[in-house]
Amino acid sequence: MNSTWFLYMFFVAALLFTGIYCLLTMRNLIKLSIGIGVIGKAVSLALIATGLAKKNVLAAQGLVITYIVVEVSLVAVALALIINVYRKTKSLDVRQLAKLKG
Amino acid sequence: MVLQILLLCGLVLFSVLAILVKDLLKAAISLAVASLLLGIIFFRMNAPYAGVFEISVVAGLITVLFMLTIALTKSGDAVESKTASFAFPAFFVVFITIDALIMKKLIQRVPALPGSEEPGTIGQVLWNARTLDLVGQIAIIFAGVFAVLALFRKGGNKDE
Repeated sequence: MNSTWFLYMFFVAALLFTGIYCLLTMRNLIKLSIGIGVIGKAVSLALIATGLAKKNVLAAQGLVITYIVVEVSLVAVALALIINVYRKTKSLDVRQLAKLKG
Repeated sequence: MVLQILLLCGLVLFSVLAILVKDLLKAAISLAVASLLLGIIFFRMNAPYAGVFEISVVAGLITVLFMLTIALTKSGDAVESKTASFAFPAFFVVFITIDALIMKKLIQRVPALPGSEEPGTIGQVLWNARTLDLVGQIAIIFAGVFAVLALFRKGGNKDE
């Protein structure tokens, strides 16, 4: 592993920290999905950087394309859920969800 | 390499902006700009297909989905807590320092797996080298389609 790979991993760790901080502290549901997107960017960057260091970029690209397709599905379902929650509670606060009584 | 480091710094900067900005629309646009920078980074890292997907799908489609959701949920801007935004820069600087100091030694302890030889073309990698996980991927796409259809079906909410 060369030093370029460590440089990429440094930025990957920074992006991961940003996303996980967002997931831990924010209360807006749309902000939480943005945090998931940031974590996804970190994962794709890590995959491509590792593929570049291992001289096997094509397999890494295949994995990243797979991940992007899955991410679109994930975001679509998450945003549909958020719209339904908003119709029920008239708020995007994640704390409102704890007050729902079935 | 300097340009690549600048692009990576811009990626981290716009991701931080996407999280810290109060206005949700600006946050979604910051996320799109971060996706665009990541796509350019992929192009420069000799991965053009991943870059094309990143720019067209993540920076295009997902941003449109976010904007639609923000437009449909108007009053959602006011729920953010104050402490989250104020505490972030301190935590971030501390983490970056720790990251720069010890991460290289930590990663070097993980044993490196042997790399396989480079296969032929992107088409062979995408369709021939993977068969089983494509089935799983198709299942995930269908699950997403049916979940969205089920969430937006008419007359489903009897108790409203």
